[in-house]
Amino acid sequence: MTSKRGFAVALFAGALAALVPGAARAQGQLTVYCSVQEEWCRPMMAAFERATGIRVAMTRKSSGETMTQIRAEATNPRGDVWWGGTGDPHMQAAEENLTLEYRSPRLAELHDWAVRQAQQANYRTVGIYAGALGYSYNVPELQRRRIEAPRCWADLIKPAFRGEVQVADPNTSGTAYTLLATIVQLMGEEPAFDYLKALHRNVNQYTRSGAAPARAAATGESVVGITFLHDAVTQKVNGAPVEIVAPCEGTGYEIGSMSIIRGARNLDNAKRFFDWALSAEAQAIGAEAKSYQLPSNRNAPIPPEAPRFENIKLIDYDFARWGSAAERTRLLTRWDREVRAAAR
Amino acid sequence: MGALSLARIALACAAFGLLIPPWYGLESGFASWPGGEAAPLAVLLAGGAAWWLWPVPLILLASAPSLLAHRAEGRLLIACGAGVIAWVFLQGWAIGLPGTVWSIAAPFVGDASQPALGWGATFLLTGAVGLLSAGLAAQGRFNGDAFVSFLVVGSAALLIAFVFAPLLTILSAAAVEDGRIAPEAMLARLTAHEAWSLACVTSSLGCGVVWNTLALATLTGVLSTLLGLAFALLSARANLHLGGAFRALAILPLITPPFVVSLSLIVLFGRTGMVTEALSALFGIPRSRWIYGLPGVLLAQLLAFTPIAYLLLEGAVRQIAPSLEEAASTMGARRFTVFRTVTWPLLRPGLAAAFLLGFVESLSDFGNPLVLGGDFDVLATRIFFAIAGARHDPGRAAALALLLLGLTFGAFALQTAWLGKRRYVTVTGKGDAGVPSPLPRGLAIACGAVAFPWMAFTAIVYAIIMLGAFVHDIGRSDMTFTWRHYITAFEVEWFQGLVFRGAAWDSLFTTIEVAAISAPLTAGLGILLAWLLARQAFPGRRTLEFLAMLSFAIPGTVVGVSYIMAFNVPPLELTGTSLILIICFVFRNLPVGVRGGIAALAQIDRSLDEASATMGGGAVATLRRVILPLMRPAIIAALAYSFVHAMTAVSAVIFLVSARHNLATVYIVGRVEAGEIALAIAYSSVLILIMLAVVLGIDKLVGRAQIGRRAPAGAMQTAPVPVTA
Amino acid sequence: MPDPAIRFERVTKAFGPVRAVDAVSFDLPQGALVTLLGPSGCGKTTTLRLIAGLELPSEGRIEIEGRDVSRLAAAERRIAMVFQSYALFPHMTVLENVAYGLSVNGARRAAAEAEARAMLASLGLEGFEARLPAELSGGQQQRVAVARALVLRPQVLLFDEPLSNLDARLRRRVREDIRDLQRKLGLSVVYVTHDQQEALAVSDLVVVMRDGRIAQMGTPTELYEDPADAFVADFMGEANVIAGEVLAADGGRARLRVGGAEVEAAMRAHPVGPATLAVRPEAVTLVDAGGVPGRVARAAFLGQTREYEVETDAGMLFVIAPASAPAFAEGAAVGCRLERVIPLRG
Repeated sequence: MTSKRGFAVALFAGALAALVPGAARAQGQLTVYCSVQEEWCRPMMAAFERATGIRVAMTRKSSGETMTQIRAEATNPRGDVWWGGTGDPHMQAAEENLTLEYRSPRLAELHDWAVRQAQQANYRTVGIYAGALGYSYNVPELQRRRIEAPRCWADLIKPAFRGEVQVADPNTSGTAYTLLATIVQLMGEEPAFDYLKALHRNVNQYTRSGAAPARAAATGESVVGITFLHDAVTQKVNGAPVEIVAPCEGTGYEIGSMSIIRGARNLDNAKRFFDWALSAEAQAIGAEAKSYQLPSNRNAPIPPEAPRFENIKLIDYDFARWGSAAERTRLLTRWDREVRAAAR
Repeated sequence: MGALSLARIALACAAFGLLIPPWYGLESGFASWPGGEAAPLAVLLAGGAAWWLWPVPLILLASAPSLLAHRAEGRLLIACGAGVIAWVFLQGWAIGLPGTVWSIAAPFVGDASQPALGWGATFLLTGAVGLLSAGLAAQGRFNGDAFVSFLVVGSAALLIAFVFAPLLTILSAAAVEDGRIAPEAMLARLTAHEAWSLACVTSSLGCGVVWNTLALATLTGVLSTLLGLAFALLSARANLHLGGAFRALAILPLITPPFVVSLSLIVLFGRTGMVTEALSALFGIPRSRWIYGLPGVLLAQLLAFTPIAYLLLEGAVRQIAPSLEEAASTMGARRFTVFRTVTWPLLRPGLAAAFLLGFVESLSDFGNPLVLGGDFDVLATRIFFAIAGARHDPGRAAALALLLLGLTFGAFALQTAWLGKRRYVTVTGKGDAGVPSPLPRGLAIACGAVAFPWMAFTAIVYAIIMLGAFVHDIGRSDMTFTWRHYITAFEVEWFQGLVFRGAAWDSLFTTIEVAAISAPLTAGLGILLAWLLARQAFPGRRTLEFLAMLSFAIPGTVVGVSYIMAFNVPPLELTGTSLILIICFVFRNLPVGVRGGIAALAQIDRSLDEASATMGGGAVATLRRVILPLMRPAIIAALAYSFVHAMTAVSAVIFLVSARHNLATVYIVGRVEAGEIALAIAYSSVLILIMLAVVLGIDKLVGRAQIGRRAPAGAMQTAPVPVTA
Repeated sequence: MPDPAIRFERVTKAFGPVRAVDAVSFDLPQGALVTLLGPSGCGKTTTLRLIAGLELPSEGRIEIEGRDVSRLAAAERRIAMVFQSYALFPHMTVLENVAYGLSVNGARRAAAEAEARAMLASLGLEGFEARLPAELSGGQQQRVAVARALVLRPQVLLFDEPLSNLDARLRRRVREDIRDLQRKLGLSVVYVTHDQQEALAVSDLVVVMRDGRIAQMGTPTELYEDPADAFVADFMGEANVIAGEVLAADGGRARLRVGGAEVEAAMRAHPVGPATLAVRPEAVTLVDAGGVPGRVARAAFLGQTREYEVETDAGMLFVIAPASAPAFAEGAAVGCRLERVIPLRG
């Protein structure tokens, strides 16, 4: 009887402790939504805690999910900073007035592409890293099939790759939407859709996550996986037999971004994090965490494995236009109707 | 309990809520108490803030004089209780965080704003519910029993707030476009091409998502029933002594996070999977991607749901009185004829129940289609991506959710219609002296040919899960032994005390905490509701029962979306707290507790309650000293069920986790999404071990006799397992 | 005059459209054993449950020893009940079962157990205190149930078919035990049964119920010898119900015309004219000639008695004769002398 009661008391105490976390509240805290991979999120937050003494509560979610959450929480925000994840949803959040304008003193230290993106978003977001779109292919699988190594976007629609290309679904993945927008900007809308229809015949599966095709190429589930190049690099560094291709026609890129959520409960700490995250030493953490994007701070060391933008033909990506909700919905609807619904 | 004493306790509770805990904000803490953001209402009012809440203490005061004079005036108490509840919610809706929400209130309060209700308000509202119930009891409702009255009114309030209201929220979202009500948009969404397209019949295009869902659910229902039947016949009628193995087989999927099986299937049958490679190397069978899509999802669901069908059918087989079969054989029927003419027809209701269970499980499964679906979309995943995808469209999500709800309700209606006609065979307590007739030989061989390979297959699938956690990368067949994944997840460091460095600790602690808190709440509320529904007669009983069972039919994805839509703004703001996770689990798992409770109560003769009553035992004493001790097995089963399900659920909580309160399953889904299958597998294996320990511990505690064959089989029959996903 | 133990004033209990008890009024005296008797579905159990407070009346007023308990729940009335199934708590020992009522009413554990022990001892259940109900025989369980009820010293003790789970020989002993106990303690007891023999054997007063109403109320003798109608007459033991005509009736005897014959029999006062008459089988004497003429259709020897079915112009008469009386063979012409006749209402 006593032990039962003791158990009940312990349970009750546990319940209280869970419900009243404020009791032991530190003077400084910050809630961060993190949209890069876990391995990068954690050391980032740990480093910030060490540097400032501010306790960080972090959730890792994909940028789409985070966008959903911020939108749902709009009238009563829970998070303070949204760090990482492809730029489009950040732009969209800026457009929907979900994020706060903030000009960091460190803007001067950043690459031009990052500053330009910040301007386009009225300084409601800022680039923290960039990654170019491309694809990787599995070398043994390619050789087994005796296919010539692909170099361009155009190679992927060859019949040899029938059922051997994997890419994410632009409805669920920012990466795939970047591909859609890139092809449209590269070729013009009508030829772009002809290309996408042709590509559709070679696509074996539209995954839901943007990085999944890199993994599929690494394991050989698919010969080719269209992803951001840094995702492919991660696989290659892990020892996967893949080659990485920056397509010859030129390619689009994403700018991984960071925004302060409007109505942040810890605004001062959010700004501190914002400034800190743009510093060279904070941006060096990515490489240590096997994330091979290009950092936005000019002084940050570039990981040797990272695909250098100098060697890649980049298009002049119009983030404002292709990131807008109206354009996005139009493109996606057209893609759904003309490409996804077509026969293979 | 008399109305007067309840009214007094309720008034005290309301007064406490008025005077002590912070009025606003569930997580505001006591740092600035009794001022600042932790101020109780009394302090706020005294300071001139929130003056629109003055009616609340005044109404409460109005109920006090007669209570102090030892009188419980029904009408007055009802008016006071209802008045306080109505006023608190009306002002809460009218004046929100961003300011005055209802323009009608603007001239009176100006541009006032207030955060969401907190613990003070919770106590006050509880007190108000108490006053209301005491008033009803004083008027002679609920046989004048204030305790019963409080339970009914209180649980109805909870069910309306946390089951019914969120559902209404999401339904109304389906009819809203660009912020206004648009029935034509709703109609368009409900009849959308993406849902109903029949293109796959005539061309190579994919069909509508409704057809996909239906096809998958039907296949899963039929095949899991057949497999389950093979196992049930073997274990009940063939003298193979396989009880232990079958039990293990039955328990494993119950404690496995729903998508883990999918990971293992990819490792085995993916295009570079082990089996695929072997077949290709040995026989030159071309390696294909068949696992991604309908076949893969079907296989994963069969692995997950067959054991449930088995448990259900095993009970059904054992319930067939051997004397019936003996009667048939004494009339000269041969074994197979006996089986065909007696056993099989008696099994049919069980088969129907098993089919419908598999069907409903499949409808609401989210994890497996997410991981293995490929291009094959079902409603559950489509809803998720309509909310979380790149194209955020809550209206479309809500409409799809309506379609899914329609399918589930349809299945349940079918089940009710079927089971309503069935005459339940009750165990009379008189031993049936007969010996069950063994299976006809041909049938036994057929069952064995299906069951044993399937068991071996299940064993391999689980072996992969365990193996994958200890090797570098099982997906790429890199089989070097490593502790790496466990270290990533569960690293512990000694640095001025124990530091939990591993990536998984936070979510694991939260998960265990949330599960451990929600399980007793679920069991408690479930058993109390069962007792109300089975033992008390009161107006609205059927409505209460419907509300209590409703959440069972709502797929998790729908629940998650509806909660985040309903509980993000004052006056009820719960998002981002661990409370919302607890509430979500309590109300999702509640129906199982209720059904288990009702089934257990059906075994307890009503005259026991009445005997206690005639000896002067009130409702409370009877419940505590007679009913609850007799329901111990049901209570423990409900505890175990809700604990395990709180640890394995994904679909609802994926919307509800927050920075501070993340859950293990959601974390694992994230790892899968990022392609870190090994880490996901390592974490899953730990979860499985924890739940195994819990289930076995309970098994030990209650004794095999109860949790073994009878309890789960019986419980499952009445309380079909899980809509986990 | 003390208040009646139980008073019903136009009490009605409706379950939906069905009126299980329909405007019933009665007074049951204190210190008496009253039986509620009737076929199943007559409302006797509902009446008992209304007394217990397990059902609350839809209309009407119930008093127990002068106190209005109409709206009081079972727990608040001072009654005790022995259930048909005994309703012993299976998870409690015999002692805990008996002490239960005392302890829920606030007695201290030690005091409650001492009192329970004493009660068990007085019912001859010493040594069984630590057993679980499942370890007792049916008769012992029944006594535990009685002990559990008596220990509360109730104003009224209720029995719901307490003998139905016992075998025939035990039944007789237990019913006598109950009767002795009731007399010894001067208890007011209400007892529900559908067995008229049981009712006749133990009751001070019998209430016969039919379709939710009281068919007749009275002492066992009154009911047997002077049933109000055909239903009661038939239910209280067998009766031949025949049509006849009263030619004259006074001073306890009457001249009747039955089946064309004029006969004389003992009968209470009744106006002259056609009447429905009940004749108990043992109130008919078969003679060679005289009385109502008839022919023996069937005869059976049962040891202590002989039973006959006699065809007469008034219909078939069932007759029980002592074995010592002269025997008649099947087919024999006989006369039926009616010793006692009961005129029925309606």
